[in-house]
Amino acid sequence: MISETLKRIPEYLLAILIIITLNFALPRMMPGDPFLQISGAGGEVGDAYTAEQREYFMAYYGLDRPAGEQFITYLGELSRGDLGFSYYYKESVSNMILRRLPWTLLLVSAATAISLGAGMALGSFAAWRRGRRSERLTYLMMVVFGEIPAFLVGLFLLVLLAAGLGLFPLAGAMSHYTQFDSYGAQLADIMHHAALPVLTLSLARTGSLFLLVRNSLGTILTRDYMRTARAKGLTERRIRWRHAMRNALLPLITRTAMQMGAMVGGAVLVENVFNYPGLGQLMYDAVFVRDYPLLQGIFLVLAITVLAANLLADLLYKRLDPRIAAEVKKQSTGPGIKPVGTGGRNEDL
Amino acid sequence: MQEALLKLKNYLLRIFILAGLLWSRLSPTGRAALLILMLLVLTALFAPLLAWHPPDVSSGPALTPPGDGHLMGTDDLGVDLWAMIVFGARVSIIVGLGTALLAGLGGSIAGIASAYKGGWMDRVIMRLVDIMIVLPDLPVMIVLAAFFGPSLSNIIIVLALFSWSRPARLIRAQTLSLKEQPYVKMAAHYGGGFFYLLFRHFLPELLPLLLVNMIRLAGMAIIAEASLAFLGLGDPTSRSWGLIINHAVNFSGIYFTPFWQWWLLYPWLFLTLLVTSLALLGRDLERVADPRLSS
Repeated sequence: MISETLKRIPEYLLAILIIITLNFALPRMMPGDPFLQISGAGGEVGDAYTAEQREYFMAYYGLDRPAGEQFITYLGELSRGDLGFSYYYKESVSNMILRRLPWTLLLVSAATAISLGAGMALGSFAAWRRGRRSERLTYLMMVVFGEIPAFLVGLFLLVLLAAGLGLFPLAGAMSHYTQFDSYGAQLADIMHHAALPVLTLSLARTGSLFLLVRNSLGTILTRDYMRTARAKGLTERRIRWRHAMRNALLPLITRTAMQMGAMVGGAVLVENVFNYPGLGQLMYDAVFVRDYPLLQGIFLVLAITVLAANLLADLLYKRLDPRIAAEVKKQSTGPGIKPVGTGGRNEDL
Repeated sequence: MQEALLKLKNYLLRIFILAGLLWSRLSPTGRAALLILMLLVLTALFAPLLAWHPPDVSSGPALTPPGDGHLMGTDDLGVDLWAMIVFGARVSIIVGLGTALLAGLGGSIAGIASAYKGGWMDRVIMRLVDIMIVLPDLPVMIVLAAFFGPSLSNIIIVLALFSWSRPARLIRAQTLSLKEQPYVKMAAHYGGGFFYLLFRHFLPELLPLLLVNMIRLAGMAIIAEASLAFLGLGDPTSRSWGLIINHAVNFSGIYFTPFWQWWLLYPWLFLTLLVTSLALLGRDLERVADPRLSS
């Protein structure tokens, strides 16, 4: 059980290494060099640097050394948390990211929690009312909402609820230039600003979680232990939540973790829809002014966060599922039966 | 000549029957989605006939509301919105089709090779697939598009690089079970090489599943292109729907004006229609092609 998780760690390390290498290689694969870029902004070739000056700067930034050596230096800088210096904003990239990160984390974690809760509630609602009209309506709604990309849903909500009805602010994460009477009022203000982005992200993510819960509950309901639970005279609520939902929870965790990449991608877009000052909006700004160090720093932070979430889910999954431990034991003595519906990532084709 | 004609007729007849069979198995939602898709494809094909204004130069006063010669109004440069929408359909369809073909082909080759050859090749390909699946694709695509420049072909290549893993995994699983079929084993036993088996047995058997998966891929590619364009990373020479939305949203104060009622609404509507109908059709076809998948 532990070795199974340990076996996956090299994979994560490899993924991180690929990301870092990509990050290192991309600017160096571009035609020209940074000094050409700076001196010839906007396509006009000016010679702001003489040949000696260029050589001096190349040596100063270490760009004349072999690529392998540069890579080692780059790794060293990364390990010290140094993500470079933003051309445009003239500030350390790490500082800029740290300032924006909490907003993105707020959106992503709130949306994850809400979509998980909504997916479970609606999924079990649907599993218990299979075939009825209310269930089919929910199903259709969820499928449609799950398929529309988050930023389109966000634009719709923004136009309807914020611009049209004026219920929510159009942009930002909090009201500026205002004094709050209490922390509670400030918290309410922040929640008011975050409401639409979080709603958008949750709507876009609930669909697939709903389908997963509905389908796994559907198979669980036909199992023998469900009949046993009923025969024992347990209450409906207990059967639903303790016996059925507990088993549906496991694939849900894997799915949530695997969706983390899509969630972060969605957050990048949704932040730009709502002008929410998180990393996604900073990424947009970086693209707009072609501030490559900033862009790469954000990319690195997002990618590593997603990988960490996946690793966490892997660990959690093995903790939560006693059958995996049992299966490993069985396999050492003889062929074990693979538990249905808990195949984790390999099952999800 | 006569024979070739007869053969062609036979093929057409077969396609016709298959299409009819497919139609009869689709759910009402699937049928509606298919109809909308066909309409959009026709719109893209006959774009020059459908638009009576050019999609790239001004053809009237800026920001006129719909009506009065401009079916959907004009944008801030006086470019006809209907023309932009009609020609934008081409961009979406090229991106969807191109990515689906590239990724579907590459993915299925990787999947079949992985399953058939096994061993180290299987391990390497599957590790790659696992890594591709956990990588957050949008941020990577943003970085790649920012560095390599947002031309349409670059976007298609980047999208294909990020979507081959799903078909690869699906095809691998199917090939693994197909490999154990007696007739495949027999053919291999009689000396059928890898490519013989590939074209004679694997591809025909896997094709329906692959096609269904390619519809999914096309849908995801169209969404990704629209997302990149929305972030200002679309091909600036092609008027894609995402780019129109990007321009509209960046028009300062658009929500305080009535302009969004056409400038933002129509590209949004068409994009949503296209993406939703592709997804619904894909879902329905998955059910038809493999009843096992939809419990």
